Order: sequence, then structure tokens, then C-alpha cells
Amino acid sequence: MIWEVFRQDEPGGYHTHCGNVHAPDREMALLFAEIQHARRKPTNSLWVVPQKEIASQTDETDRFGGTTDKTYRWVSAYNVDVEFAKEIEDSDREQRSVAGDSA
Amino acid sequence: MELQECKARAGPREFGPHDDLPREYREAATRMIQFHANSEIMGAYLERPFIRQSPSLDRKLAFSAKVQDEIGHGQLLYRAAESLGVKTREEMLDELANGEGKFLNCFHYPMTEWWETPMIAFFVDGAAMRRQATIKRTSWEPYAHAMDKICFEEGFHIKHGEHIMRELATGSRREQQLLQEAFEEWWPRILQFFGPTDDESTHHDFAAEVGLKTMSNDELRQAFLNAYLPKATEYGLEIPDEPRIREEDGRYVVEEDDLDWEEFWAVANNDYAGSHEQIDARASAHDAVAWVRATISGETA
Ligand SMILES: [Fe+2]
Ligand SMILES: [Fe+2]
Repeated sequence: MIWEVFRQDEPGGYHTHCGNVHAPDREMALLFAEIQHARRKPTNSLWVVPQKEIASQTDETDRFGGTTDKTYRWVSAYNVDVEFAKEIEDSDREQRSVAGDSA
Repeated sequence: MELQECKARAGPREFGPHDDLPREYREAATRMIQFHANSEIMGAYLERPFIRQSPSLDRKLAFSAKVQDEIGHGQLLYRAAESLGVKTREEMLDELANGEGKFLNCFHYPMTEWWETPMIAFFVDGAAMRRQATIKRTSWEPYAHAMDKICFEEGFHIKHGEHIMRELATGSRREQQLLQEAFEEWWPRILQFFGPTDDESTHHDFAAEVGLKTMSNDELRQAFLNAYLPKATEYGLEIPDEPRIREEDGRYVVEEDDLDWEEFWAVANNDYAGSHEQIDARASAHDAVAWVRATISGETA
């Protein structure tokens, strides 16, 4: 049985997918996940999930967010100043940094 | 975990569902996140009519995207609240429908005209963003994670709101006049967005001690005022005489006693005329699509 492994570097962070392991049960899956993925890299927490329990979808079959022009929902569509508030500047920067993939 | 240990450990993103937290922490965090979630939902319902009322296709698309985002924020936050193990999402949604659920003061007032929209979409979203940025450092990790996504999305809301405001402020005389009137009506409510003054705030001390909140209501109000008052004047809006605003060491300070706190508390307790109107409108919209929920869950309506 295959288990997908999610590792969190430090407290408060996100669990991100880092690979998978063969194991007969949960306990063994955690043990193998620890040995393979958490022994060297700093790790705060690990999750293992049976691979067959994961549903997936990819952008080959579905265009996430649709195919029509949706520039109106990005910061780049509005030419107003953001420098007056740091939190808006941050959001603006975060959106611009991914806009290449999604806009 | 004992309350004392909880206070000692409190820090950004310190606690999660795996921690055995004291009842007091779970209840305080539930109250705070449920309030936030309810507010996202009620705000979305307040803006929903403007998908129809928008004067152009661009605005219509932007409003529909924004309303969709806000409902999503509500859903995200109900999950963060639910993970505290005090209330289920179902219970929180029921409380919102039956008038027990509390939500932000600004969403208790009707908003019917297009020229009012920047009051929510720029000023209230801006105020919310100011508070939300500080909640990225809250001690309840699922709440902080919800903030990461919400703050990412909000930039568009506020810029869109400002864009509408600029259009009106540089429009016809009549548009400028209507914008000014809307501003005068909403400005005191916007300043009350951050809640009661620190000496009247019943939950603040505990929430700060356990790391749920990192800034007090008054600190947030002043920070907001100093960023947003100049924006209002930049667009030619005149700041009303009341509440009085004075300058102290180059910072604006609002005379909090000039604000109508009686009305604020009526609103906070869902006892204002507008409260019932907003709650009932949302409850009936929710009922109207009961068949959708029943179909999804496989029940027969
Ligand atoms: Fe929101
Ligand atoms: Fe928003």
C-alpha cells in the first residue's frame, strides 16, 4: 500500500507534499515517512495519507479558474496607488508574483 | 494544558488542533473567528445586489468575483473556528440565521446606492485588511493560515474599491456631491469598525494574553485613520466636523467620545433596525436555496 507524505518544516507552517512510501499500515507509514523524509531535513510534523484516498485533477483536463479573461480580479487591473498601506502593498506583490501563472 | 502554560507559550501560530488547549482559549478563539466568519458572509450579502446594479460590465464582473471571494473567506473561517472543537459550522450558520450570531457594525446598515459602494469596498475592506494583516500572527494556527489566503485576495478588493471612488471623485459635480454625502454618513461607522474603545473592550485583555489578538482596537483605529484619512482628502472628500480629529505629534487622533456608542452597542447586540433587516434578508436567501443543500447531501427536500 502506498502512502503520500506531507512534511511541515516548522511550527505554524504548511504541510507540503514531499513524496510517498510503501507501508502496510499507518504506523509503519509514519515510520518510513520519518526515515525517508524527516530524518535529514528539519521537520516539525508529518502527515501520511493513503494514496487511494486522494482525489486529483490536473490542468490538462481542466483549466482551473476557467478560460475566459479574468484580469478584473487581479490587482494589476486597477492603477491606483498601494504605497499608503503596507498590507495592501504586500497583497499587491503576492498577486503579481503569481499572476504570470494564473492571469 | 493549563491556562497559565497557554499564556506563557502564546505566540504567532503557536497552537493547533493537536494541542490540548484550555476551555477558555477555545471559547475565546471560537467567538472571535465566528464573528469574523459571520462578517464575511454578511458583507457579501450587502454587496451582492451590486452585481446587478453595477453601471458597467467590468464592475459587474469585479463585484461578482469579490462576492465569491467573501463567501469563500467565510467558509475558510468557519473551518478555522470549527477546528477548535466548540461549535460546528452548522451551529454557527444557524446562529447567524436566527439572529444570535454577531458580526461587524458596518454590515448592519443598508447600502442601496452605487456611490455608497466605495464606503465598503475601499474603506471597510481597507479597515478589515489592516486588522487581518495583524491576525497573520495570531496564536491559532488555522486562523493564521486562513489569513494568508484572505490577505492575498484582498488587495484586489481594495484597489477595485478605490478605483470606483476615484471614478466618482473625478466624475460629474453630482457624483462628487453624492460621494461626499455617502462619506459623511459612513465615516463615523467606519471609525467604529474596530470595535469599542480599549477601556470598554471586554474581551481584549484575555485575547491578547493568549496571543489571539496582537493589537488593541484603539491602536488599529489610529493606524487606520492615519493611512485612510489622507486618502479621503486626496479624493477631495471633506472630513466631517464630528467626530473631531486632532493632530498630535504629526499623527491624527479621533475624539472617540464624539462617536455614537449607544448606536454601536445596539448594533453589536443585533438590536438595531438595520440588523434585523440584514439578518432576515440573508436568512431568507439561505432558505431559498435549501433545496440545493438537500440535493448535494442526498436528502429529499
Ligand atoms: Fe473578505
Ligand atoms: Fe474583501
